[in-house]
Amino acid sequence: MQIATRQQGNSTLVDVQGDIDLYNSPEVRKIILEELKEKKVSRLIVNLTGVRYIDSSGVASLVEGLKVSRNMSSRFMLYGLSPAAREVLELSRLIRVFEVYGTEQEALQAK
Amino acid sequence: MDNAVKLNFPSDPRYLGVVRGAVERFAALVGFDEEDCRWITLAVHEALTNVIRHAYHNQYDRPVEVRLRERDEGMEVVMVDHGTGVKQEQMCGRPLDDVRPGGLGLHMIREIMSETDYLPLEGRNELHLFKKRGSKTSVGE
Repeated sequence: MQIATRQQGNSTLVDVQGDIDLYNSPEVRKIILEELKEKKVSRLIVNLTGVRYIDSSGVASLVEGLKVSRNMSSRFMLYGLSPAAREVLELSRLIRVFEVYGTEQEALQAK
Repeated sequence: MDNAVKLNFPSDPRYLGVVRGAVERFAALVGFDEEDCRWITLAVHEALTNVIRHAYHNQYDRPVEVRLRERDEGMEVVMVDHGTGVKQEQMCGRPLDDVRPGGLGLHMIREIMSETDYLPLEGRNELHLFKKRGSKTSVGE
């Protein structure tokens, strides 16, 4: 798995590439929490376009990011979910608690 | 000869992807469609992460065995570990309206598989999973 961050206007994007599972979800969690808690970004957008597979530990990292963002009064968004990633979020009944967009442009333009 | 595929590996999360690959291909081999193959793979993966975290407390050098077998109406998976057993009443997952990290794996396994049976035995624990052909997983949207 590869993970990187970049800035786009007032949004910080986290690009994740590969599978998010028990082996590497701690890394995803660390980066997301670092951006929210330490850098105090106002809009964090997680790009899941390159994620083929996500398990419950990966979902837990995203939920934790969402909860921290609410505490920090930041926005937390996801985009580019693969069918497999969407299915996992649906199965865990969590798809509705996230702000989910189809493309980067849609996430960036979200009011 | 026992008509099963057996995978023996250490409880190291690095091997999760290898096991997923084998499970998904086995499910396809015995006739599940692409979507069911993904679901079965997720259920087995979640069970395996529970073994690593809860039975072996994140010790990455303990033995795990996964047996995959075709049964008349579907596919059976047996997972064997030699770690700490869990009582049935402790296997409760969490309410899904409680939005917080953790506790999702057990819920996923139960939603996906047709049968789940956990057996804490003398010196080992066995988890028996069965997916019946044609039993679709509902994502409950």
